Amino acid sequence: MSIVSVTSLQKCYQESVVLRDISFSVEEGEVFGIVGHSGAGKSTLLRCLNGLEGYDSGSVHVMGREVGDLDPAGIRLLRRDMGMIFQTFNLLSSLSVLENVLLPLRLWHVPAAEREARAGELLRLVGLYERRFERVSALSGGQKQRVGIARALALSPKVLLCDEATSALDPGTTISILDLLLDIRTSLGLTIVFVTHQMEAVKRACDRIMLLDGGQIQGTGPTDRFFLAPSEDLRRLVQDEYAQFPGGTNIRLWFPREIARDAVITSMARALDVDFAIVGGKLERYADDVRGFLVINVPDPDRERVLAYLEAKKLYWEVLGNE
Amino acid sequence: MSNLVSALLSFPAGVVDSLMRNQDALFPAFGETLYMVGASTVLSFALGFFLAVVMILSGPKGLNPAPRLYSVLDIVVDLGRSLPFIILIIAIMPFTRLVMGTAIGTTATILPLTVAAAPFAARLIEANFLEVDRGVIEAARSFGATNAQIVFRVLVPEALPAIALNVSVLGIALVGYSAMAGTVGGGGLGDLAYRLGYVGYETDVTLWCVILLVALVTVIQKAGNLIYSRLRPDA
Repeated sequence: MSIVSVTSLQKCYQESVVLRDISFSVEEGEVFGIVGHSGAGKSTLLRCLNGLEGYDSGSVHVMGREVGDLDPAGIRLLRRDMGMIFQTFNLLSSLSVLENVLLPLRLWHVPAAEREARAGELLRLVGLYERRFERVSALSGGQKQRVGIARALALSPKVLLCDEATSALDPGTTISILDLLLDIRTSLGLTIVFVTHQMEAVKRACDRIMLLDGGQIQGTGPTDRFFLAPSEDLRRLVQDEYAQFPGGTNIRLWFPREIARDAVITSMARALDVDFAIVGGKLERYADDVRGFLVINVPDPDRERVLAYLEAKKLYWEVLGNE
Repeated sequence: MSNLVSALLSFPAGVVDSLMRNQDALFPAFGETLYMVGASTVLSFALGFFLAVVMILSGPKGLNPAPRLYSVLDIVVDLGRSLPFIILIIAIMPFTRLVMGTAIGTTATILPLTVAAAPFAARLIEANFLEVDRGVIEAARSFGATNAQIVFRVLVPEALPAIALNVSVLGIALVGYSAMAGTVGGGGLGDLAYRLGYVGYETDVTLWCVILLVALVTVIQKAGNLIYSRLRPDA
C-alpha cells in the first residue's frame, strides 16, 4: 500500500485548470520529486497532499485517509503526521530557534519535559543546539532551513513535504541541506515529497521523479532513467544543450551505474586505434551513485567503426544531430 | 495676538511665578487628562483588539472567511472613524447615561472616547495582523494549528512589536480627542486651555497646557518606540 496515492486529481482556480488528471503514488521511505517550471502547479499539488489546498475532483489518499473527506479536526491530525518545509523557511521571527521548534509541540500539548527533550534532540540532529537561544534572524539561510526541518520533524511525522526547500540557498548550502534530508530519511524512515525546479537537487536527492508542466504530468520514473535518457521536456528544463562541434559526428555516451567506473573511452581508442575529441560532458552524483555522459567528436571516416564498437559493447549512446 | 506676544516676552522672567499662580488649575487638569487618556486607551485597545481578531478571522483572505460578517464590521468601523468626535459625544449621550449613570464629567467622557477610538484601534491592529507573513501562517497550518492557535500563538506574537507602536499612536490620538471632553464637563488640559486660556485671556495657561501636552505626547511616543525596540532587537 502506497503511503500517498493520488488518482485523477483535478483542480481549478475560477476558469483555469491548474491541475489536470494527476495520478501518482509515493512509496514508503522514498524521496519522490515533483519537478517542473515555476507555475507548473507543483506547489499547489503538494498542498493538496496535506489539505492546505482543496481539489475539485479525483482522490488524494494519504496514510490511509482520503484528504477531501476529512473534517477540520481530521485534517489537523493528518497534518500532525506530515511535516512541511518551505522555500522562505517561514519561521516565527518573534521566537528563538528553540521556541520555533517547540511551537508545534506546544500546540499539540506535549508535556513540557518531553517537548524540551524532543526539541533538544532535533536541534542536535540539525546541528544548531548550541545556537538554540538565538533569534532566527541571526541565522543564515541554510541554518534557518535547518530550524525549519527540526520544526517540521517535531511531531515525528511519517511524511515530509518540501516546497522548493533549497531554492533560496546557495549551491554549497543546498548540498548540505539535501544531505541532511537524505540522512534523516534513512535514520527516521521518512518518506519525502520534494517539489523543486532545481535539477541539481533532483539528481542528488530523488529516487523517483514526476515531471509536471502546465498542470499535467509529463512523465514519471526513476531519476537516473530520466537523466540518462531525457525526454524533450526534461531537456528543456535542464537546458544542457552543448555547443555542436563542426564537422565529424558528435556522439553522446551515457555512463549508467554499471560502467561509470570502467575506462570505456580509452579502451575504445586503443581497440579501434582512432582519434577523437572530447567536446563536452558531465559526470554527476545521482542520488547515491556517479553517473553521467561524455560527448565525443569522431571524424567521419571512423564513424561506422565507432558506432559498431559501441553497439557491440552494449553501451548507451546517441548521435547528436547538428541543429 | 498682541496678548500672546507680550506673554511670550514676559514669559522667561515670570515663569516660576506663572506656574505657582496656575498650579491649582493645571495639575488637576493634567490628572484628568491622564485619567481619561489612560482609561480610554486601555478600553479602546481591548475593544479594537477584539474587533481586529474577528476581522482577521472573517476577512476575505482570513482564516475562516465570513464575507457578510466582515462587510458589516467593515462598515461599522468606517462609520465610527468618520464621525467627528464632537458629534459622537453628543449623539451617544443617552447611551453614556445608560452605561455610566451620567453623561457629564470626566468618568462619563471615557465612554465616548472609547467608542470613538475603538474602530481606529481595530483598523491599526488589523493592519498589523495583515502584515504578518502569509508563509508563517501557512507553516502553522502545516503542523496542525487551529485558527485560535494561529491568532494567539502566531499572529499576536509576530505582530506585537508593531501593535505596541500603534498603542502609542492610539494614546496620542486620544490625547487630542480628550481636549473636546470639556463640552460635557470632562475637564482636562484641553478644556483648561480653552476656558481659562482662550476664553479667559490667560495666555500663559494656554502655554502651560501646550507644554504639558507636548511632554505627554512625547513620553507616550518614546515609550512606544522603546517597547518596539525591546521586542525587536534586530530591527
